[in-house]
This record gives sequence, structure tokens and C-alpha cells, in this order.
Amino acid sequence: MTDTPEFLLDAGVVLQRGDLHLNAELRVQHGEVVAVMGPNGAGKTTLLHALLGWLPLQSGWIFVDGETFEAPNEDIATPTHRRGLGMVFQDGLLFPHLRVAGNIRFGAAPNKDLTSLIETLELSSLLQKYPSELSAGQTQRVALARTLAAGPKMVLLDEPLASLDTTGRSRARDLIGTALSENLSGALIVTHDPVDAFALAQRVVVLENGRISQFDSPEAIQSQPQSRWVADLMGWNIFRGMRRGTSVLMPNGTEIATTGLQADGEVAAMINPASVALFPERPVGSPRNSWLCQVRGVQLLGDIARVSLSGPLNIYADITTTAAAELALKEGTEVWVTVKATEVLTELDSSRD
Amino acid sequence: MRAPLPLRVRLVALVALVFIAAPLLSLLWRVPWPRLVDLLASDVVTDALLLSLVTSLAAAVVALSLGIPLALSLARMNGFVASFVRAVIVLPMILPPVVGGAALLFAFGRNGLVGSVVSDLTGLVVPYTLTGVIVANTFVALPFVVLTIEGALRAIDPRFELAAATLGANEARVIFRVVLPMVRPALIAGGFLGWARALGEFGATITFAGNIQGKTQTLPLAVFVALETDREAALAMSVVLISVSLLVLVSLRDRWWPVR
Repeated sequence: MTDTPEFLLDAGVVLQRGDLHLNAELRVQHGEVVAVMGPNGAGKTTLLHALLGWLPLQSGWIFVDGETFEAPNEDIATPTHRRGLGMVFQDGLLFPHLRVAGNIRFGAAPNKDLTSLIETLELSSLLQKYPSELSAGQTQRVALARTLAAGPKMVLLDEPLASLDTTGRSRARDLIGTALSENLSGALIVTHDPVDAFALAQRVVVLENGRISQFDSPEAIQSQPQSRWVADLMGWNIFRGMRRGTSVLMPNGTEIATTGLQADGEVAAMINPASVALFPERPVGSPRNSWLCQVRGVQLLGDIARVSLSGPLNIYADITTTAAAELALKEGTEVWVTVKATEVLTELDSSRD
Repeated sequence: MRAPLPLRVRLVALVALVFIAAPLLSLLWRVPWPRLVDLLASDVVTDALLLSLVTSLAAAVVALSLGIPLALSLARMNGFVASFVRAVIVLPMILPPVVGGAALLFAFGRNGLVGSVVSDLTGLVVPYTLTGVIVANTFVALPFVVLTIEGALRAIDPRFELAAATLGANEARVIFRVVLPMVRPALIAGGFLGWARALGEFGATITFAGNIQGKTQTLPLAVFVALETDREAALAMSVVLISVSLLVLVSLRDRWWPVR
């Protein structure tokens, strides 16, 4: 076992916990930061707890850096404290009886020089304070320092930014990004915020109902969402209806053409607002997906204008501000809305809510 | 701000308070204060005082060293097992101490279940000795120690233990560096409560260890004897016991019971 293993983390996690059946395969490369996203109750925290050895696997495997940490088939289960996996909790979970310095030192080798870590996370002035005296942002920075000081093989972060307000959040995100890139061989970060995921991670794994529905680059997650939840998260238009041929028939009679439907029965059509085109006149060649809609509102987001439209379907379109000016869009303006059939993604509408 | 209580309720409350305070005040009323120091200097009293101090402190230490591991185990139990074990532990609190003392005789007496084996092997005899006093005191102090600490342990988020483990701490380090320091107030409270309980112990001691001056006669036993022979000395010793108990309760304030 002298060659460097291909993956830092190679895990197949199968376990039952209450109603949740977790069955997820996950590989993280050396030096890679992977974001774990998914709806509440999808099993994100459970996945982390299983990797740490806090919850036993029913079957599967956990290899870290070529070392077997857990293999129920072979009766191998390394205890948490010998796995060398760091964990940053959502609420920091600093030891209340120790000062910041004591917390950071807790898992570190006795003579380890922590100066640069403390400076990177801007903690020098906090060392003598107790956790109860820290703000939420400071708490998370100390928690990260404490984890990194122990020199983990890999770091797991469970919603590390969730408890912070917007200002603290972006600063903490920058600091975490810096600290991770300076100190780390790899990380898994659970987050519900795509901004955090895309800023910190090279790849995103989407966990839904205990299963991985997508494992892709942030770009692919954005442009090719594989599930309704991701599409919704990315601000896509989502239309539910029944399959009719290669189209999705909505309850109000509007049909959305696609290039072919894998699913049968109830389906969801997902359309990226950036793929929606607007025309003052009915477009020539009359593409199949064209509808006459009314502008309900225009919102400016940087150089993008988000146009909300109502008509045969209620849809958002993201167009350039230049295009919006040329169309002279205002509330009540009638425009033709078109979407190429190739731009319509579909998913079996299994999760009715 | 709560609504004011009806007058009748407040009156009954006052009666209850007087009921508790009156006997103590009456006792203090009768204490021959100018002669207090002389009274406390008599042989019987100094013997009992010293004996009580030594045995109750020893009992508190033993109860802590036995009670902490028991509390740690109990805090990890759930359901029926936890309820059953807790009931067994609480029993000495509810039991008439005399019954407790009798039970101790049947266990650790010369012919007791455990005592006979111990005396065969080592020649040690526990009842009617100083060790016997400590055993009886520990028996009644232990429940206070265990319950106080268990309550605090249960209130700790178990993820603190996970956090410590992810930082490389093994089981022992998790306990000694994280769990026990986090319940330090409860360790102190449990120790003091156990000590106060041991200091006042009467029934189990007299049954199991007897009432031999200078050997097993603790302060409460001396008070009981002196009530017949030397009432003023009894009062003086009572003052000592009341002061100590009050001091413990006041210094622990509201931390004295594990309810949160």
C-alpha cells in the first residue's frame, strides 16, 4: 500500500435511521472540496455522522487515504478518535469550559506551531476569551481553527455558515475558503446555500431522500439540474403536468414541448430562466414553445433583467438589460415567450408536495 | 410578572413557612450562647465533632469516587433499565435510615453476605468501627451525589463528545477533559450535598456502627444522648450542625438539585 490511493475518500454508506434510508456512494479526490446539498431530512448530517463513525454502517465501506475505516463485511470499524476526520459543527460546539486558546489546542500536537492558522482566521485577539463571549462568526472561526489545528486527513463541515448573518457570512466564507486551501487535503461541506457551495467547492453532491441525485461541477449543477429540487434551488422555472407524447401537458391546457421524455405519468418540466427568449412579434418559423404573455414586473440583477411574465404559463426570463431596454418592457407589455424544446429538462414528478 | 396569589393561599404558605422555621428558631432561642464555646470544648463534644468531621469527609470522598462512575453509566442508560437502576440508587434516600443500617448489617456484618467473606479473607470487621461509620455515611450520601451529577450529565449535548473524538480524544480523554469539566458545578454540589447528608446521618450509623464515644459516636448521636443527660451540650452541638447545613445550602444556592 505504498502508492498514493486515487481517492482521499471513497465511501459507500448504507444505513437506516428512522424513516431515512441512506444509500450513498461518494468519492472525494485529494485536495478537493465537495459541497453536499439537499433538502432538509435528506440525510446530509447523517452521512457525516456515518463517515465519522458516530453511526454504524449497515453495509458499505469507508476508505480514507487508502485506509479502511469501516467495512461491516470484514467487521472493521475504526473508532472516531482514530479516523483523523475533522468536523466543524453548525453551532460550533466549542468546549464551554475552555478558553479559545484551550479549544484550539485541544486536538493539536503539544508543540505544534499554530501561529499562522490563528492569524489566517484572525483569532489573535480572542485567545483569552471564553466561548460564551464570542459572536456567532467568531465561534465558527474558532471551531474551524480547532478542527484544523488537530491536523485532520480531511475536514467535514456541517452548515458552518448557517448561523451567521449576511455580513458575517461572506467574511467567514472568505476566511474558511482561505483556511481550507492553505491547510487541507480535502473537505466535505454541507450547506443549503448555493452561493456557499459554489464559492467553496469544486464539486457538488446533491442528496435527496437518502440518495445521491447528482454529483457534478457547480457549472453542471447550474446548467443541467438532474432533479426538481436542484432546479428550484437554482431559480429555474418548474412546471408540473402529465406526459403527452414528447410534451408536458399542464393542468390549464398549455403544452410544453421537449425533445423526448424518459419519464411517464406525472412529470415536471424545468426551464432555465436564461434559456427563455422574448420577442416583440411572433417569431418566424413559429417554434413549438411560443406563448403570448404579459409582463408583470422587471427586476434588475446587475446586468441581468429578470422579467416575470404571466399568460398560458407563468414564467421568469433572464435577459440582458440591453435587450430589456430594446423591448421597452414595462408592466402590461405583451411579448412572445419562446423556449427551445432542447432547453426543457424533465423529471419524473415523484415528490408531490 | 405573575398574577398575585389569593389571600388564603398566602396565609397557608405563611403557616407552612412558620411550621418549618419555628422549631429551628425555638432551638436557637434556647441555646446558652455565652457558654457555647465552653460547652463545645467538652470531651464528648470534641470527640464527636472530630469523628463526624473525619467520617463525613471520608464518606463524601468515597461517595464521589464511587458516584461519578455510577452517574456516568446511569446517564448512558435509557428506558426501563435506567428507571430500575435509578430506583435502586434512590432507595437509601427514601428508606428509613434504621432499615438501611439493618440492611448494611446483613450485607457487611460479621455474618453478612459480603462481610463474612471479607472477614474470612482479611480478618477485617466493619460494623461497630470507624470504617463502619464511613460505610453507613457513604450509603446515605451516595444517592445525592449520583442524582446531582447524572442530571447535569444528561443536560450535556452528546455531540460535545463527538466533537472531542473528532479531535483525536480517546474515551478517557473525552471523560476527563470534556465531560467532567463541563459538569464541574454538579460535581461540587454533589460532593457538598453528600457531605452534608453524611454529617447529619443518625439511624444507619447507630444501627450499623453503634454509639461508642470516641470510636463511632458522631455529632448527631452525641446530640441524641446529650438530650437525656446534658441538654445544653445538645443545643450547642445542634447549633454546629444547623450552621453547617445552612452554609452548604446557601453556598450552593439553587444549584443544589439537578432540575433545570
